[in-house]
Amino acid sequence: MAAEKVNDQERDNPEMVALREEALAALSKAASLAELEEARVAFLGRKGKLTSLLQGIKDLPPQDRRRAGMMANRLKGWLEQAIDEREKELRRMELEAGLRGERLDVTLPGRHVTYGSRHLISSIIEEIEDIFIAMGYRVAEGPEVELDYYNFEALNTPEWHPSKSLQDTFYVDASAVGREDVLLRTHTSPVQIRVMESTSPPLYVIAPGKAYRHDVPDATHSPMFHQVEGLAVDERISLADLKGTLEFFAKRMFGEDRAVRFRPHFFPFTEPSAEVDVSCIICGGKGCRVCKGTGWLEILGAGMVDPNVFGYVGYDAERYSGFAFGMGVDRIAMLKYGVPDIRYLFDNDLRLLAQF
Amino acid sequence: MRVSLQWLSEYVELAIDAYELAERLTMAGTAVEGVEKLGNELDGMLVGRVLEVTPHPHADRLRVCRVDLGERSVDIVCGAPNVRPGMLAPVAPPGTRLPDGSTIGEAVIRGVASKGMLLSERELGISEQAAGIMELEEAAEPGFPLKKALGAEDTVLVLEVTPNRPDCLCMLGMAREVSAVTGARMRRPHFQLKEDDPPAADDVRVDIIDSDLCSRYSARLIEGLEIAASPWWMRRRLRAAGVRPINNVVDITNYVMLETGQPLHAFDFDLLKDGNIIVRRALAGESMVTLDGVERRLSPEDLLICDPRGPVALAGVMGGEHTEINEATTRVLLESAHFDPANIMRTSRQQGLSSEASYRFERGVDPSGCARAADRAAYFMRELAGGRIRRGVIDARAREIAPLRLSFRVERASKLIGIALEAKEARRVLQSLELEVTAEKAGERGAVLEVEVPTFRPDLEREIDLVEEIARIHGYQNVPSTLPSSSARVGTLTPGQRFKREAARVMCGLGLHEAVTVSFISEAWMDRLDPAREWLPRFPVRLRNPLSEENAVMRPSLLPGLLEAVRFNVNRRVSDVHLYELGRVFLPQEGEALPREPLMLACALAGDWVPKQWSGDAEAVDFFTLKGIMERMASSLMVQEFSLQREELPFLHPSQSCAVLVKGEKAGFMGTLHPRVCDHADLPRNIAVMEIELSLFEAARLEPHFREIPRFPTLQMDLAVVVDEEIEASALEKAIRETGGELLYEARLFDLYRGEQLGEGKKSLAFNLVFCAMDRTLRDEEARASFEVIVTALRERFGARLRA
Ligand SMILES: [Zn+2]
Repeated sequence: MAAEKVNDQERDNPEMVALREEALAALSKAASLAELEEARVAFLGRKGKLTSLLQGIKDLPPQDRRRAGMMANRLKGWLEQAIDEREKELRRMELEAGLRGERLDVTLPGRHVTYGSRHLISSIIEEIEDIFIAMGYRVAEGPEVELDYYNFEALNTPEWHPSKSLQDTFYVDASAVGREDVLLRTHTSPVQIRVMESTSPPLYVIAPGKAYRHDVPDATHSPMFHQVEGLAVDERISLADLKGTLEFFAKRMFGEDRAVRFRPHFFPFTEPSAEVDVSCIICGGKGCRVCKGTGWLEILGAGMVDPNVFGYVGYDAERYSGFAFGMGVDRIAMLKYGVPDIRYLFDNDLRLLAQF
Repeated sequence: MRVSLQWLSEYVELAIDAYELAERLTMAGTAVEGVEKLGNELDGMLVGRVLEVTPHPHADRLRVCRVDLGERSVDIVCGAPNVRPGMLAPVAPPGTRLPDGSTIGEAVIRGVASKGMLLSERELGISEQAAGIMELEEAAEPGFPLKKALGAEDTVLVLEVTPNRPDCLCMLGMAREVSAVTGARMRRPHFQLKEDDPPAADDVRVDIIDSDLCSRYSARLIEGLEIAASPWWMRRRLRAAGVRPINNVVDITNYVMLETGQPLHAFDFDLLKDGNIIVRRALAGESMVTLDGVERRLSPEDLLICDPRGPVALAGVMGGEHTEINEATTRVLLESAHFDPANIMRTSRQQGLSSEASYRFERGVDPSGCARAADRAAYFMRELAGGRIRRGVIDARAREIAPLRLSFRVERASKLIGIALEAKEARRVLQSLELEVTAEKAGERGAVLEVEVPTFRPDLEREIDLVEEIARIHGYQNVPSTLPSSSARVGTLTPGQRFKREAARVMCGLGLHEAVTVSFISEAWMDRLDPAREWLPRFPVRLRNPLSEENAVMRPSLLPGLLEAVRFNVNRRVSDVHLYELGRVFLPQEGEALPREPLMLACALAGDWVPKQWSGDAEAVDFFTLKGIMERMASSLMVQEFSLQREELPFLHPSQSCAVLVKGEKAGFMGTLHPRVCDHADLPRNIAVMEIELSLFEAARLEPHFREIPRFPTLQMDLAVVVDEEIEASALEKAIRETGGELLYEARLFDLYRGEQLGEGKKSLAFNLVFCAMDRTLRDEEARASFEVIVTALRERFGARLRA
């Protein structure tokens, strides 16, 4: 602070020294801008003390005037700067005091911002898609209203198969075009046939989508549900490759510490076929209500593409082999998020949707 | 299929416990759904020997029995007529719980203390026989636990047999499977048939007329039978298998079916006319009464077993009532036949009648097993029912079904399974399943096995079927896990798929929740939205067999589903509903079997967009809430030239109804739901809705392109003009942009005002205009000149005047 730099010459003039002390006291006493202004007027105003002192210099003997003038001007400069600084300080204090008065209840809720959410089925499908895209698969689609040929026949399902009955499959009234073989696909597997018809091997695709079965809705059945189908056809594809692929998927989807179990099963369009279990995501395999005490949850059906299916699409079954798999997305979503009833998925209750 | 392990162990050694066996069978393709322990209901009951029977001092029909229970003897009061000294009988001491749930106490019956109860079969819960105390046949010591003495301690595996494995629907088949998975040897039952003259053929004749549906019919004639209950061990096994015991003859047919898989039928021979069996299709209009007492109308595709008078059985499904085994039966004609699976399935379906026999025939019964099963049943009828077996089987064979021969390439199996399979191992596995390897040859790429497939495995028709057998017996758990070796593949989404994902994300980001609604709607919704079918298809995609009329139509629009979801929420007091859905709709195509299934994006907004808060009032959803969302969506997705154009749709508020255009083409609609629809559908008013075909938006997408940013200061001027009410803001804005020239950088409408001083039918629109030049600092006069050009144009085109 300039006030500290008192030089020796000033000390020679007791009057100026006193004035400086007085000004210093007045400035620090000023607690508001108004008081500071009063102090400024008292020293630097037209009738202020320093002004008077400056005016008195002309009455001094000429040999003293120059020196006194210099000293008085220096004092004036010092005082102006001191007032300036004090003013800044007072302004800062005043702002600070004002801000403290603007206290908020920071626990009030924030201003509303609208937000949205993806449906859990869509999230799961995307998650599954991304896992397979990372393994080099493409995503294929096919119609939900299908022909018997794609849904059953080309998938090696015999004409008399029980799943074709009116009690199991929804049929479309296509009398306008004179057909009885139009239905709602009962699985996403017909996409396999459509993809193979239009593409030559090698191919690696998954096909997510809706499927329909003639089931009265209950906690575990819905006439509309979602599946993801997978198909890989190449030279030298083996059952071991199917195992490795689905193990990779299951660990990505359900966690690295999940075990996967392949049980032989029967499907018309794969051979050999398997049902695939993942160690229970609820109890980790110890056994609980969800896994009915077995420690396993069945989540997939899979197998090696039956040579008959290759026959339908004109692939050389001696040169190419392939595997296919299908999984129920709704069931996976229910298991993963603990949703107890499949009907909840299609009620679209916002109190559920907003959770995901 | 229920498999008693006690029974099974007669045919194969079971060295592992039930749970281990269940696990091994499951891992070999026969899923075990449950493991049931039997016999626990007999806990606490003992074998007792009746020592002494004395009359009850105070009751004529009661007697007091002294019963030896091994370590002690007790007195039991009993009313059964068949108690006699020396008999072995089941005893429930006080404190025992009976299968019906009651508990035996110490009782004083008419002044005599009774310490327990002698039990009838009904009280034991093992039959309906209540007439007397059960006599224990098997040698047992008094005091021995009853469940051990009865052999009632058993474990049953409940199996899920897949439809391709009919051979697993019997004990011998399961024993074969167990032998294959455990390596234990199989033991086939040995029995010696004692036949009597004269030959059966003297009295029995079988004619197969429709040989396409019946390849073989084996019959035996057994005489001198005495109908009674079958022995306890047989009844116990039938019960464990889930079959109700009836009488010895019927039980034997069921028992042999469960043992061998061959369904059998027993006719009362004396009720068959002329001893003549005729196998033929039903005649038009023919009918018969089956064992369950139901009169069956037959169709000419149903196969019948007849005598010269008419039908006596619905072949392979159920016998006829007329020739049923009864108390008086002494002579039985035993049928063991092979029928066409598809035909049995058809008849069973059509008649709504399924039986243990039809279940097996429709999956495929071993055509070579008929005669042996008939022999086995005849053997039991002689042993257990006192019958005489007339010499010889009447074996009518219409066709021979020979075992199939397949070539099996070991290398091919190795490649498909992904293991290094040796010919020796392949041979071992095949032989463990009773597939005969008749030769081994050296093929181009290793060994080729010639395999003869027995007729009980109709599912093994091709080499690949054998590969599956190898894989499952080898064990999937022993197959390594690898990934496909070819690396020539790239995983990616198509641009359309990526666009769909982006659209979903943008909608969420804009504050909407994604809904997934069911694809079925009702015709009533169609009528509600568009009674005259001006907009919805006149003939939508309808289901032939919907679950209900509510679910009969495949949605031609996402709107009904979304509106149902709005109603669902509003009914649950969730009134601010902001939903979108991305899904397919179904639009019939002229002359095509399949409809078009475009992917649509639809929204429904109801209630408040911003709820009432401490800091401000609620903001209700309206037309412009949704329009704002659509504009943001279009710009976020880089969709060019998005606009709305007034168009009245039948289900929208007539003044708030628009077509959505992209690049001048219609891509959907947007508006406020017509109050008529709201009221009719029990929905709140003011629901903003839209639906667009997503691919049309995608087609209008442009890659973003850099537009020069002004580097020199811009000049802003506000332009407020008064125009007639009908003049649309977009027309003014378009004119401003057209006439503003190069210097006009941006124009944005920021105010709409109506007021008295403007006059009736007038409104004021204010635009904020930004002028700049890209190469210099713009002078006021230049901007002003441009401004004047705009004002002049608006005046000339729209009669607009500047608002003071
Ligand atoms: Zn569990």
